[in-house]
Amino acid sequence: MTGVVGRSVESITAALRAVFTAEQVAATDGFLQRRDPRVTLVAVAGLALAVMITRTIPVTLGFAGLTLALALLSAVPLRRLFARAAVVPLVSALIVLPQAVLLPGEVVASAFGLAITDAGVAYVVLFTLRVGVGVALLSLIVLTTPFSAVVAALRQLRVPVALVWVIAITYRYLFLFFDELQRLILARNSRTKGEATLRGGWRDGRRVAGTFLLRTLDRGERVGRGMRARGGARPPSPYRRSRSVDAGDYALLIVAAVAVVGSGVIRWGL
Amino acid sequence: MGPVIEAENLTHEYPDGTTAIQDVSLTIGEGERVAVVGANGSGKTTLQLALGGLIEPTAGSVEYFGETTDAEAVRERLGVLLQDPDDYLFNTTVREDIEYGPAQLGQSRETAACRVETLADDLGLNGLLDRPPFRLSGGEKQRAAVASVLAFDPDVLLLDEPFGAVDATYRERIRRRIVDHEGTVVLFTPSLDLVAAIADRVILVGQNGTIAADGAVREVVTDRSLLAEQGLRPPPTVRLFEGITPDDEVPLTIAAARQSLLNGEL
Repeated sequence: MTGVVGRSVESITAALRAVFTAEQVAATDGFLQRRDPRVTLVAVAGLALAVMITRTIPVTLGFAGLTLALALLSAVPLRRLFARAAVVPLVSALIVLPQAVLLPGEVVASAFGLAITDAGVAYVVLFTLRVGVGVALLSLIVLTTPFSAVVAALRQLRVPVALVWVIAITYRYLFLFFDELQRLILARNSRTKGEATLRGGWRDGRRVAGTFLLRTLDRGERVGRGMRARGGARPPSPYRRSRSVDAGDYALLIVAAVAVVGSGVIRWGL
Repeated sequence: MGPVIEAENLTHEYPDGTTAIQDVSLTIGEGERVAVVGANGSGKTTLQLALGGLIEPTAGSVEYFGETTDAEAVRERLGVLLQDPDDYLFNTTVREDIEYGPAQLGQSRETAACRVETLADDLGLNGLLDRPPFRLSGGEKQRAAVASVLAFDPDVLLLDEPFGAVDATYRERIRRRIVDHEGTVVLFTPSLDLVAAIADRVILVGQNGTIAADGAVREVVTDRSLLAEQGLRPPPTVRLFEGITPDDEVPLTIAAARQSLLNGEL
């Protein structure tokens, strides 16, 4: 598929596939990689909770610094972390953008007859930052821990089987989804010549979208059979990664606990 | 030797009205080596899925090990390899995919680790274990898929075209693994070339989704008119020695032909 639309779909697909392929990072030796997966899950989820509790920009920036530190200690390429964490906050920013003019406060700028207030801007910035840091923290789990270890840890932590099942299947199907799209684009490219016009690109895009939907449904059904053929009708039972909880694990848990309590104290002034 | 799979009057019709298999009845005995052959679109894959309990046939039933018609109850004893390895490899690394079956079917981690090691050696997967399956070549994916079905050491193997896209070296290694399997093997393939090197019995699926022939390998693969009717060719050695050697003496594999030539028998 050629043209702007084709290239965009292709590059987005390639980027997303790369983003979801993090096993090499998980295989490197780093701080989070050395942690017991249960500890990583609980501690990092705790830090994300602390970020969600926070309502001030300096504290959120503090958590952003902590996230960066964890990423660096775990040899996570920052570019990959940003790529993973950027989409959700950008979409969130678009959603909360109207608050910049809706919230009452001191007018800092005007555009198209709308007054942008300081409180509105602060709200949008804080909200986007919190979402970004929260997503970056959760991304750290997936980047530094093999997916099967995450699923095994969820089972060990007695997370309801149905939820673990949904997480496991969603993650697996994400790969297949991008893989199918990539193959479809390659198949079209192999029989396409020259630069398509914008209109041609849109037409191609519509066709690809239709075929993609049908192929994804079909592929989904066949992969479902592939899973059932190897016991996939039973609850997810990946092998546990045998690790013992050590001083580093306790340190991480303590940091997370302090972060949650500290965020609560700062917000509610207990 | 009791039956491990007993199908009675299996019929499967897809929602678009295509009848893939019609009134198929067959019995596979314990330890048998069976090749199910047929032209493209004859219904082999549908038959494999129905025998493996992965689709609900429109009519008929399948009994496993003479004890149940519920495939899920005996899932750990049935190794069903799907035709397309992309349908079979859905984990984030090859290692996880090979471990998936043993883990889901309750086998110990130690046993699984041992099998992963052996299979990786045998099928040339050592350097690929930590790579995402979708980054592999077609032949590598096929080898990973074969390793994944062999990993939980099922009693019955139902393999749909396990040699697809695999080069000659690894085709031979896969063949050897299949031959060395201690249980029952049912191979689904459109080509008769490797059938005699694996199976003792051939079930020929006709183009209307019925069983056109069921017998000993030699009996079926030398029946040229039957094969031609069903859009199939005899194996290379049968074609090579046509008119030179009687059908009941013709070597069915290249190795057997070579040996006969060396012995001066042909």
